[in-house]
Amino acid sequence: MQRILTACLLWLAAAPVSGQTRAAAVSPGETLFQAQCGFCHGRDATGGASGPDLTDSELVAQDRNGDKLGPVIRTGRPERGMPGFPLSDPDLKSVIDFIHARKAAVDKNPGRRRRVTIADLSTGNADAGRAYFNGAGGCAACHSPTGDLASVGARYRGLGLLMRFLYPTAGNATQLPGEPRQNPVTVTVTLPTGETVTGPLVFRDEFTIALRDADGWFRSWPQSAVKVSVKDPVQAHADQLGKYTDDDVHNLFAYLQTLVK
Amino acid sequence: MARGLAACAAIVGASAALIGQALDPSLLLAPTKDSWPSYHGDYSGRRHSALTQITPENVRQLGLQWVFQTGRPDQLKASPIVVNGVIYISAPDHLWALDARSGRQIWHYTHPENQAFHIGHRGVAVYGDLVYLTTPDAYLIALGAKDGKVRWKVTIADWKKGYWSTMAPLLIRNHLLVGVSGDFDNLPGLLQSFDPTNGELQWTFYTTKDGPHFGGQMWMTGTYDPELNLTYWGTGNPTPVLNGPARPGPNLYTNSIVALNPETGKLVWHFQATPHDTHDWDANEVPVLVDGTFRGQPAKMLMHASRGGYFFVLDRATGRNLLTRPFGPVNWAKGIDEKGQPIPDPAKEPSRDGVLMAPNEAGLTNYRSPSVDTREGLFIVSAQDSYGIYFFKPEHGDYGWAGADYNIWGKGLLKAIDYQTGDIKWTKDLHGGAAGAGVLTTTTGVLFTGDSAGNAIALRTRDGATLWNSGIGRVGTAPVTYELDGRQYLLIGGGSSLFAFALPR
Repeated sequence: MQRILTACLLWLAAAPVSGQTRAAAVSPGETLFQAQCGFCHGRDATGGASGPDLTDSELVAQDRNGDKLGPVIRTGRPERGMPGFPLSDPDLKSVIDFIHARKAAVDKNPGRRRRVTIADLSTGNADAGRAYFNGAGGCAACHSPTGDLASVGARYRGLGLLMRFLYPTAGNATQLPGEPRQNPVTVTVTLPTGETVTGPLVFRDEFTIALRDADGWFRSWPQSAVKVSVKDPVQAHADQLGKYTDDDVHNLFAYLQTLVK
Repeated sequence: MARGLAACAAIVGASAALIGQALDPSLLLAPTKDSWPSYHGDYSGRRHSALTQITPENVRQLGLQWVFQTGRPDQLKASPIVVNGVIYISAPDHLWALDARSGRQIWHYTHPENQAFHIGHRGVAVYGDLVYLTTPDAYLIALGAKDGKVRWKVTIADWKKGYWSTMAPLLIRNHLLVGVSGDFDNLPGLLQSFDPTNGELQWTFYTTKDGPHFGGQMWMTGTYDPELNLTYWGTGNPTPVLNGPARPGPNLYTNSIVALNPETGKLVWHFQATPHDTHDWDANEVPVLVDGTFRGQPAKMLMHASRGGYFFVLDRATGRNLLTRPFGPVNWAKGIDEKGQPIPDPAKEPSRDGVLMAPNEAGLTNYRSPSVDTREGLFIVSAQDSYGIYFFKPEHGDYGWAGADYNIWGKGLLKAIDYQTGDIKWTKDLHGGAAGAGVLTTTTGVLFTGDSAGNAIALRTRDGATLWNSGIGRVGTAPVTYELDGRQYLLIGGGSSLFAFALPR
């Protein structure tokens, strides 16, 4: 999902309540963060629609002295719309220090979090969610609570679980560190010779189709020269978005939370 | 708000002598074919060109003439401004003047480093021998068009309070209209008019002033009808952004189209596209002015495809509604009121456990300029069918964002709306999420825009058939066109570079 910058496209974080003034002391890391990162991740790193809440991020929690964050900041995550930031070593350190300082501040100041907790989300009915899963939702056509979704409630929690079932590639907060990320869409390209090549989709527009073949090579063709057949297992999730009631969403969340074995 | 002339070099003489390469303000009323003298190209916001050299039949022969590389990491999001053979292209803190024939740099202005938001810049305005640049730290700077040197600068707003500026000012006679942005703080929304010769403040129009709601910033360039002498602006969303209970009622004049008298800044009429918005769906998208007939009656229309997902046609003399239709999935309105305004459903306000919304926060459309082709009767807009989830609980407070929301899914689609009915005549898949490009149509029936996959594309306006493409990187600008030395040029930004295309000689 491309990041869209608009003058409103982000949400910010715990700003002081009316009447209070902001803390006067500004670290170099804060200055850098706000100018370079603040638009997507919120001025105080608690994130938004286009960039995750860094104070609540697994990657930040696991980071020690920049070992996890440094490479991500420097090279970016282009597949998720995050550009790389070629910061100098001291600048990089000060930004990472600021992120950790924000996490520490938010962790010890729960009253001002703009966070969504598991308790917030727990308003649904698991039995109704099971009925929806097996009935109107059509989830059971592709998924099994004892198969692919066994333990899904342990693997993903809270907002991450909610966003992942709504759309499996939604949101950056749902990605576990180290989790392989491969396009769930597969394509089969039929060449003029009749030969077929199948693999995960890498790139597709009106003019070009590209995949990674069975040997791991990137291969592309002009769309006009080949026949393309696409298998998109997550399209059903997109189609469902217009059909849910908010109760369906909360009930399904409650049901998926029970799948912990 | 502290304001005043910054200590700087000599002020330009009050009557800008129109010599050499200076802009005559009357050019804005009837732009010459060798120019694109203001953000929208003309006052109407139609982003439609009368040039005829490039046609659906020959557009496939378009070839690259030159590329100007800014050498900066940030994506170009500005509309190039073309006056008297000079192109002005901006980025946050930067403005380049280029030779419109060769793309070579004439001068480059760099604003002092500052700590304000650097999220994008939309373009400049030109008047006499001055070029006007807004900056992230909310200055309005007048630069000499000849040399790029600062002639004067004034403060638009206090960036330390949370304001910033990205917009291309709008010049109407001797009024330079400038808006600001600011979404993370509870700030009054305002539009100001400055004297273009010396930067003195002429008037201020407030959308919001005294709470309990704030916001309603005007951060996109408005339009103007010289006959009615009204200027039209889209206003931003209210703050606190997601906390609706803190600010009951419709929250005027946020998320509205406002019609103002440019002499005084006084409000003449308003129409609220998204009453009591709790999803960041500002109505800053271009209010496009179209003359013609509406269902058989002569009409002076204003058309607006709003971020919240509705397409509106209004009578621009009075603000009376002629048409309200969604142009994609929307799930937040219970109905349409007697004024033609959607009625927000209280059940879809952000909640503790989350509400699933269509569209998402980025909206069914956004800042990307639409275009209108009156011959085809089409309003063409870069849209995004989308869903997001929104949260608010009292612990989130009533300052700034006051809540949380997340994008779930979005798909970029170019949509051609029949503006007599609101029906979608054709839809083009843009192959990704929301695109960044605006749309340009021309009188020969060809349109230019960018998809979501790094292509500049030309389509046949009538049916959306693809005629040409060039993989120039993500297009973040609205394309413009001009004719010089008998050649029609297309200017379009890809990544951080500006590309000029033309037909073979």
